[in-house]
Amino acid sequence: MAADPLDALRLPVVPVDPRPEFAAALLRRITSATTAGQPGPASPVPPRDKPTVRYFVGDLDAAIAFYCQRLGFEEELRSAPAFAMLYGGGLRLLLSVPGLPGAGRPLPDGTVPRVGGSNRITLQVHDLTAAVQELRAAGVPIRADVSAGVAVRQALIEDPAGNLVELYEPAMGYHERAQTP
Amino acid sequence: MSTVSVRYIVDDVDAAIDFYTGRLGFREQMHPDPAFAMLTHGDLRLVLVAPVPPGHPGGGSRPLPDGTRQRPGGWNRFMLEVPDLAAAVEELRASGVRFRTEIVTGIGVKQVMIEDPSGNPVELFEPVRAEARLDTRLAQPGPLAAVLPQQLGQFRCGHRARWRRRALVVEEAALIGHRG
Repeated sequence: MAADPLDALRLPVVPVDPRPEFAAALLRRITSATTAGQPGPASPVPPRDKPTVRYFVGDLDAAIAFYCQRLGFEEELRSAPAFAMLYGGGLRLLLSVPGLPGAGRPLPDGTVPRVGGSNRITLQVHDLTAAVQELRAAGVPIRADVSAGVAVRQALIEDPAGNLVELYEPAMGYHERAQTP
Repeated sequence: MSTVSVRYIVDDVDAAIDFYTGRLGFREQMHPDPAFAMLTHGDLRLVLVAPVPPGHPGGGSRPLPDGTRQRPGGWNRFMLEVPDLAAAVEELRASGVRFRTEIVTGIGVKQVMIEDPSGNPVELFEPVRAEARLDTRLAQPGPLAAVLPQQLGQFRCGHRARWRRRALVVEEAALIGHRG
Protein backbone atom coordinates (compact mmCIF):
# COMPACT_ATOMS: atom_id res chain seq x y z
CA MET A 1 0.00 0.00 0.00
CA ALA A 2 1.33 3.44 -0.89
CA ALA A 3 2.46 5.69 1.93
CA ASP A 4 -0.24 7.97 3.21
CA PRO A 5 0.89 11.61 2.89
CA LEU A 6 -0.93 12.38 6.12
CA ASP A 7 1.30 9.99 8.04
CA ALA A 8 3.64 12.88 8.80
CA LEU A 9 0.88 14.59 10.73
CA ARG A 10 0.02 11.62 12.85
CA LEU A 11 1.36 10.96 16.28
CA PRO A 12 3.14 7.66 16.50
CA VAL A 13 0.97 6.55 19.39
CA VAL A 14 -2.24 6.89 17.41
CA PRO A 15 -3.34 3.63 15.84
CA VAL A 16 -5.14 4.81 12.73
CA ASP A 17 -6.18 2.12 10.33
CA PRO A 18 -7.68 2.93 6.97
CA ARG A 19 -11.31 1.91 7.23
CA PRO A 20 -12.90 2.17 3.78
CA GLU A 21 -16.00 0.35 4.95
CA PHE A 22 -16.40 2.90 7.72
CA ALA A 23 -16.16 5.74 5.22
CA ALA A 24 -18.74 4.05 3.00
CA ALA A 25 -21.09 3.50 5.89
CA LEU A 26 -20.68 7.06 7.08
CA LEU A 27 -21.51 8.35 3.64
CA ARG A 28 -24.60 6.15 3.52
CA ARG A 29 -25.74 7.40 6.89
CA ILE A 30 -25.24 11.02 5.93
CA THR A 31 -27.17 10.44 2.73
CA SER A 32 -30.03 8.68 4.47
CA ALA A 33 -30.12 11.30 7.21
CA THR A 34 -30.62 14.07 4.69
CA THR A 35 -33.31 12.20 2.77
CA ALA A 36 -35.23 10.49 5.58
CA GLY A 37 -38.54 11.78 6.83
CA GLN A 38 -39.32 12.84 10.35
CA PRO A 39 -38.78 9.81 12.59
CA GLY A 40 -41.12 8.89 15.40
CA PRO A 41 -39.81 8.17 18.88
CA ALA A 42 -39.70 4.44 18.25
CA SER A 43 -37.85 4.82 14.97
CA PRO A 44 -34.36 3.66 15.83
CA VAL A 45 -31.68 6.12 14.93
CA PRO A 46 -29.48 4.80 12.16
CA PRO A 47 -26.67 2.83 13.76
CA ARG A 48 -23.87 5.27 14.38
CA ASP A 49 -21.23 2.68 14.30
CA LYS A 50 -21.90 -0.94 13.50
CA PRO A 51 -24.60 -3.56 13.91
CA THR A 52 -24.54 -4.85 17.45
CA VAL A 53 -25.52 -8.29 18.62
CA ARG A 54 -25.49 -9.71 22.13
CA TYR A 55 -24.69 -13.39 22.68
CA PHE A 56 -24.88 -15.16 26.00
CA VAL A 57 -21.99 -17.45 26.86
CA GLY A 58 -21.22 -19.58 29.87
CA ASP A 59 -17.45 -19.21 29.74
CA LEU A 60 -16.33 -15.74 28.77
CA ASP A 61 -12.67 -16.56 28.18
CA ALA A 62 -13.45 -19.59 26.04
CA ALA A 63 -15.87 -17.58 23.94
CA ILE A 64 -13.39 -14.75 23.43
CA ALA A 65 -10.70 -17.21 22.39
CA PHE A 66 -13.10 -18.87 19.96
CA TYR A 67 -14.30 -15.72 18.23
CA CYS A 68 -10.86 -14.11 18.09
CA GLN A 69 -8.78 -17.12 17.10
CA ARG A 70 -11.23 -19.01 14.92
CA LEU A 71 -13.37 -16.28 13.37
CA GLY A 72 -11.04 -13.29 13.25
CA PHE A 73 -12.73 -11.02 15.75
CA GLU A 74 -10.69 -8.55 17.74
CA GLU A 75 -11.18 -7.96 21.42
CA GLU A 76 -12.18 -4.41 22.30
CA LEU A 77 -12.95 -4.83 25.94
CA ARG A 78 -12.93 -7.61 28.46
CA SER A 79 -14.58 -6.86 31.75
CA ALA A 80 -14.21 -10.28 33.28
CA PRO A 81 -16.07 -12.26 34.27
CA ALA A 82 -19.34 -10.74 33.06
CA PHE A 83 -18.86 -8.95 29.78
CA ALA A 84 -16.73 -8.57 26.70
CA MET A 85 -16.99 -6.58 23.51
CA LEU A 86 -15.60 -7.95 20.28
CA TYR A 87 -15.48 -6.48 16.82
CA GLY A 88 -15.13 -8.20 13.51
CA GLY A 89 -16.40 -8.23 9.96
CA GLY A 90 -18.50 -5.13 10.49
CA LEU A 91 -20.19 -6.51 13.58
CA ARG A 92 -19.87 -5.57 17.21
CA LEU A 93 -20.46 -8.70 19.23
CA LEU A 94 -21.25 -8.32 22.92
CA LEU A 95 -20.74 -11.35 25.11
CA SER A 96 -22.64 -11.52 28.39
CA VAL A 97 -22.68 -14.26 30.99
CA PRO A 98 -26.04 -15.49 32.32
CA GLY A 99 -26.52 -14.81 36.01
CA LEU A 100 -23.78 -12.20 36.28
CA PRO A 101 -24.19 -8.41 36.47
CA GLY A 102 -25.08 -6.50 33.33
CA ALA A 103 -27.26 -8.02 30.65
CA GLY A 104 -26.94 -11.46 32.23
CA ARG A 105 -28.72 -10.61 35.43
CA PRO A 106 -32.05 -12.31 36.08
CA LEU A 107 -35.26 -10.59 35.05
CA PRO A 108 -37.54 -9.29 37.79
CA ASP A 109 -39.52 -12.55 37.61
CA GLY A 110 -36.36 -14.55 38.21
CA THR A 111 -35.86 -15.74 34.65
CA VAL A 112 -32.18 -16.03 33.83
CA PRO A 113 -31.01 -15.52 30.24
CA ARG A 114 -29.82 -18.68 28.52
CA VAL A 115 -27.30 -19.44 25.85
CA GLY A 116 -28.25 -21.00 22.56
CA GLY A 117 -31.35 -20.86 20.40
CA SER A 118 -31.71 -20.91 16.65
CA ASN A 119 -31.24 -17.21 15.98
CA ARG A 120 -27.69 -16.41 14.96
CA ILE A 121 -25.23 -14.17 13.28
CA THR A 122 -24.22 -15.09 9.75
CA LEU A 123 -20.73 -14.35 8.54
CA GLN A 124 -19.62 -14.38 4.93
CA VAL A 125 -16.44 -16.30 4.18
CA HIS A 126 -14.45 -16.52 0.97
CA ASP A 127 -14.09 -20.28 0.86
CA LEU A 128 -16.71 -22.08 2.89
CA THR A 129 -15.40 -25.58 2.31
CA ALA A 130 -11.91 -24.64 3.43
CA ALA A 131 -13.25 -22.70 6.40
CA VAL A 132 -15.34 -25.61 7.62
CA GLN A 133 -12.44 -28.00 7.10
CA GLU A 134 -10.15 -25.79 9.13
CA LEU A 135 -12.69 -25.33 11.92
CA ARG A 136 -13.40 -29.04 12.05
CA ALA A 137 -9.69 -29.77 12.33
CA ALA A 138 -9.54 -27.31 15.21
CA GLY A 139 -12.23 -29.23 17.03
CA VAL A 140 -15.08 -26.79 16.48
CA PRO A 141 -18.46 -28.56 16.50
CA ILE A 142 -20.08 -28.48 13.05
CA ARG A 143 -23.83 -28.56 13.61
CA ALA A 144 -24.68 -28.58 9.91
CA ASP A 145 -22.16 -29.32 7.21
CA VAL A 146 -21.95 -27.33 4.02
CA SER A 147 -25.28 -27.37 2.20
CA ALA A 148 -26.73 -25.42 -0.67
CA GLY A 149 -29.51 -22.92 -0.20
CA VAL A 150 -31.23 -20.79 -2.79
CA ALA A 151 -28.51 -18.20 -3.24
CA VAL A 152 -25.77 -19.22 -0.85
CA ARG A 153 -23.95 -22.25 0.48
CA GLN A 154 -23.94 -22.36 4.22
CA ALA A 155 -22.81 -24.24 7.28
CA LEU A 156 -23.59 -24.00 10.97
CA ILE A 157 -20.95 -24.14 13.64
CA GLU A 158 -21.24 -23.88 17.38
CA ASP A 159 -19.29 -21.68 19.74
CA PRO A 160 -17.96 -23.14 23.02
CA ALA A 161 -21.11 -22.02 24.82
CA GLY A 162 -23.44 -23.71 22.36
CA ASN A 163 -24.52 -20.72 20.31
CA LEU A 164 -24.92 -21.17 16.59
CA VAL A 165 -22.85 -19.21 14.12
CA GLU A 166 -23.70 -19.43 10.44
CA LEU A 167 -21.03 -19.20 7.78
CA TYR A 168 -21.98 -18.66 4.19
CA GLU A 169 -20.48 -18.23 0.79
CA PRO A 170 -22.44 -16.67 -2.05
CA ALA A 171 -23.40 -19.14 -4.74
CA MET A 172 -23.26 -18.50 -8.46
CA GLY A 173 -25.62 -15.77 -9.47
CA TYR A 174 -25.81 -14.32 -5.97
CA HIS A 175 -25.62 -10.60 -5.78
CA GLU A 176 -26.15 -8.03 -3.12
CA ARG A 177 -29.13 -5.92 -3.91
CA ALA A 178 -28.56 -2.24 -3.72
CA GLN A 179 -30.23 -0.73 -0.70
CA THR A 180 -33.28 1.23 -1.58
CA PRO A 181 -32.46 4.91 -1.12
CA MET B 1 -21.95 -3.32 1.64
CA SER B 2 -22.65 -5.44 4.62
CA THR B 3 -21.29 -8.93 4.89
CA VAL B 4 -22.78 -9.53 8.30
CA SER B 5 -26.36 -10.52 8.81
CA VAL B 6 -28.49 -11.72 11.64
CA ARG B 7 -30.88 -14.59 11.05
CA TYR B 8 -34.04 -14.78 13.12
CA ILE B 9 -36.38 -17.75 13.02
CA VAL B 10 -40.02 -16.64 12.95
CA ASP B 11 -43.35 -18.44 12.84
CA ASP B 12 -44.89 -16.03 10.39
CA VAL B 13 -42.65 -14.09 8.04
CA ASP B 14 -45.35 -11.64 6.99
CA ALA B 15 -46.21 -10.75 10.57
CA ALA B 16 -42.52 -10.31 11.31
CA ILE B 17 -42.09 -8.01 8.31
CA ASP B 18 -45.00 -5.90 9.53
CA PHE B 19 -43.45 -5.70 12.98
CA TYR B 20 -39.92 -4.82 11.98
CA THR B 21 -40.87 -2.38 9.24
CA GLY B 22 -43.92 -0.91 10.98
CA ARG B 23 -42.58 -0.65 14.52
CA LEU B 24 -38.83 -0.50 14.27
CA GLY B 25 -38.12 1.30 11.03
CA PHE B 26 -36.64 -1.55 9.00
CA ARG B 27 -36.87 -1.61 5.22
CA GLU B 28 -37.92 -4.64 3.27
CA GLN B 29 -35.18 -5.56 0.86
CA MET B 30 -36.68 -8.74 -0.52
CA HIS B 31 -39.43 -11.22 0.24
CA PRO B 32 -39.16 -13.75 -2.57
CA ASP B 33 -40.64 -16.69 -0.70
CA PRO B 34 -43.31 -17.07 2.01
CA ALA B 35 -40.63 -18.51 4.29
CA PHE B 36 -37.93 -15.93 3.64
CA ALA B 37 -37.44 -12.18 3.81
CA MET B 38 -34.49 -9.87 4.06
CA LEU B 39 -34.78 -6.54 5.84
CA THR B 40 -32.23 -3.82 6.43
CA HIS B 41 -31.73 -1.16 9.02
CA GLY B 42 -28.64 0.89 8.43
CA ASP B 43 -25.79 -1.59 8.24
CA LEU B 44 -27.80 -4.30 9.90
CA ARG B 45 -29.27 -6.93 7.62
CA LEU B 46 -31.97 -9.01 9.20
CA VAL B 47 -32.85 -12.31 7.57
CA LEU B 48 -36.25 -13.66 8.61
CA VAL B 49 -36.98 -17.30 7.95
CA ALA B 50 -39.78 -19.64 8.90
CA PRO B 51 -38.90 -23.25 9.72
CA VAL B 52 -39.08 -25.41 6.59
CA PRO B 53 -39.07 -29.20 6.08
CA PRO B 54 -35.81 -31.04 5.34
CA GLY B 55 -36.26 -31.08 1.57
CA HIS B 56 -37.04 -27.39 1.20
CA PRO B 57 -34.68 -25.45 -1.11
CA GLY B 58 -34.25 -22.69 1.49
CA GLY B 59 -31.24 -23.88 3.42
CA GLY B 60 -31.29 -21.57 6.38
CA SER B 61 -34.18 -22.92 8.40
CA ARG B 62 -34.26 -26.63 7.68
CA PRO B 63 -33.91 -28.95 10.66
CA LEU B 64 -30.29 -29.58 11.57
CA PRO B 65 -28.81 -32.92 10.48
CA ASP B 66 -29.23 -34.25 14.02
CA GLY B 67 -32.96 -33.52 13.80
CA THR B 68 -32.97 -30.36 15.89
CA ARG B 69 -35.79 -28.14 14.72
CA GLN B 70 -35.08 -24.45 14.38
CA ARG B 71 -37.25 -22.33 16.64
CA PRO B 72 -37.88 -18.69 17.44
CA GLY B 73 -36.93 -17.36 20.84
CA GLY B 74 -33.88 -17.58 23.01
CA TRP B 75 -31.94 -14.69 24.46
CA ASN B 76 -29.32 -13.82 21.89
CA ARG B 77 -30.42 -10.68 20.13
CA PHE B 78 -29.47 -7.66 18.11
CA MET B 79 -29.60 -4.19 19.59
CA LEU B 80 -31.05 -0.95 18.24
CA GLU B 81 -30.37 2.51 19.48
CA VAL B 82 -33.39 4.79 19.85
CA PRO B 83 -33.27 8.52 20.51
CA ASP B 84 -35.89 8.54 23.27
CA LEU B 85 -36.37 5.23 24.98
CA ALA B 86 -39.27 6.28 27.22
CA ALA B 87 -41.23 7.61 24.25
CA ALA B 88 -40.41 4.54 22.22
CA VAL B 89 -41.63 2.27 24.99
CA GLU B 90 -44.84 4.22 25.33
CA GLU B 91 -45.49 4.03 21.61
CA LEU B 92 -44.65 0.33 21.38
CA ARG B 93 -46.73 -0.52 24.41
CA ALA B 94 -49.69 1.35 22.98
CA SER B 95 -49.42 -0.74 19.83
CA GLY B 96 -49.48 -3.98 21.78
CA VAL B 97 -45.83 -4.98 21.58
CA ARG B 98 -44.75 -7.46 24.26
CA PHE B 99 -42.04 -6.49 26.74
CA ARG B 100 -39.69 -8.84 28.52
CA THR B 101 -38.32 -6.15 30.78
CA GLU B 102 -39.20 -2.69 31.94
CA ILE B 103 -36.69 0.04 31.22
CA VAL B 104 -33.48 -0.80 33.04
CA THR B 105 -31.42 2.28 33.82
CA GLY B 106 -27.73 1.72 34.21
CA ILE B 107 -25.06 4.32 34.70
CA GLY B 108 -24.31 4.64 31.03
CA VAL B 109 -27.34 3.45 29.07
CA LYS B 110 -31.02 2.78 29.46
CA GLN B 111 -32.31 -0.36 27.85
CA VAL B 112 -35.41 -2.45 27.41
CA MET B 113 -36.13 -5.79 25.80
CA ILE B 114 -39.13 -6.34 23.57
CA GLU B 115 -40.35 -9.34 21.62
CA ASP B 116 -41.31 -9.69 18.00
CA PRO B 117 -44.56 -11.51 17.18
CA SER B 118 -42.75 -14.87 17.29
CA GLY B 119 -41.18 -14.18 20.67
CA ASN B 120 -37.69 -13.25 19.50
CA PRO B 121 -35.98 -10.67 21.70
CA VAL B 122 -34.88 -7.25 20.48
CA GLU B 123 -32.95 -4.94 22.74
CA LEU B 124 -33.53 -1.19 22.50
CA PHE B 125 -31.18 1.20 24.17
CA GLU B 126 -30.67 4.90 24.63
CA PRO B 127 -27.11 5.91 25.38
CA VAL B 128 -26.04 8.75 27.57
CA ARG B 129 -23.74 10.94 25.56
CA ALA B 130 -20.50 9.72 26.93
CA GLU B 131 -18.36 12.20 25.06
CA ALA B 132 -20.21 15.13 26.52
CA ARG B 133 -19.97 13.62 29.96
CA LEU B 134 -16.25 13.16 29.62
CA ASP B 135 -15.84 16.72 28.40
CA THR B 136 -17.73 17.95 31.42
CA ARG B 137 -15.48 16.06 33.75
CA LEU B 138 -12.45 17.51 32.06
CA ALA B 139 -13.77 21.01 32.61
CA GLN B 140 -14.13 20.31 36.31
CA PRO B 141 -10.86 18.80 37.48
CA GLY B 142 -11.53 15.81 39.66
CA PRO B 143 -10.06 12.39 40.24
CA LEU B 144 -10.39 11.56 36.56
CA ALA B 145 -8.66 14.66 35.29
CA ALA B 146 -5.24 13.16 35.71
CA VAL B 147 -6.12 10.14 33.64
CA LEU B 148 -8.33 11.47 30.91
CA PRO B 149 -5.96 13.94 29.20
CA GLN B 150 -3.62 11.07 28.59
CA GLN B 151 -6.42 9.06 27.06
CA LEU B 152 -7.55 11.99 24.99
CA GLY B 153 -4.01 12.48 23.77
CA GLN B 154 -4.06 8.98 22.48
CA PHE B 155 -7.38 9.18 20.82
CA ARG B 156 -8.05 12.71 19.70
CA CYS B 157 -6.19 12.21 16.46
CA GLY B 158 -7.82 8.89 15.82
CA HIS B 159 -10.88 8.83 13.69
CA ARG B 160 -14.25 9.44 15.17
CA ALA B 161 -15.32 5.83 15.14
CA ARG B 162 -12.50 4.76 17.38
CA TRP B 163 -13.31 7.47 19.87
CA ARG B 164 -16.95 6.56 19.68
CA ARG B 165 -16.17 2.92 20.34
CA ARG B 166 -14.09 3.98 23.29
CA ALA B 167 -17.04 5.97 24.59
CA LEU B 168 -19.30 2.96 24.23
CA VAL B 169 -16.76 0.86 26.05
CA VAL B 170 -16.93 3.31 28.92
CA GLU B 171 -20.71 3.12 28.90
CA GLU B 172 -20.89 -0.63 28.90
CA ALA B 173 -18.22 -0.95 31.53
CA ALA B 174 -20.02 1.55 33.70
CA LEU B 175 -23.31 -0.21 33.14
CA ILE B 176 -22.16 -3.42 34.69
CA GLY B 177 -20.32 -1.74 37.50
CA HIS B 178 -16.77 -2.14 36.30
CA ARG B 179 -15.67 1.41 35.79
CA GLY B 180 -13.09 1.11 33.07
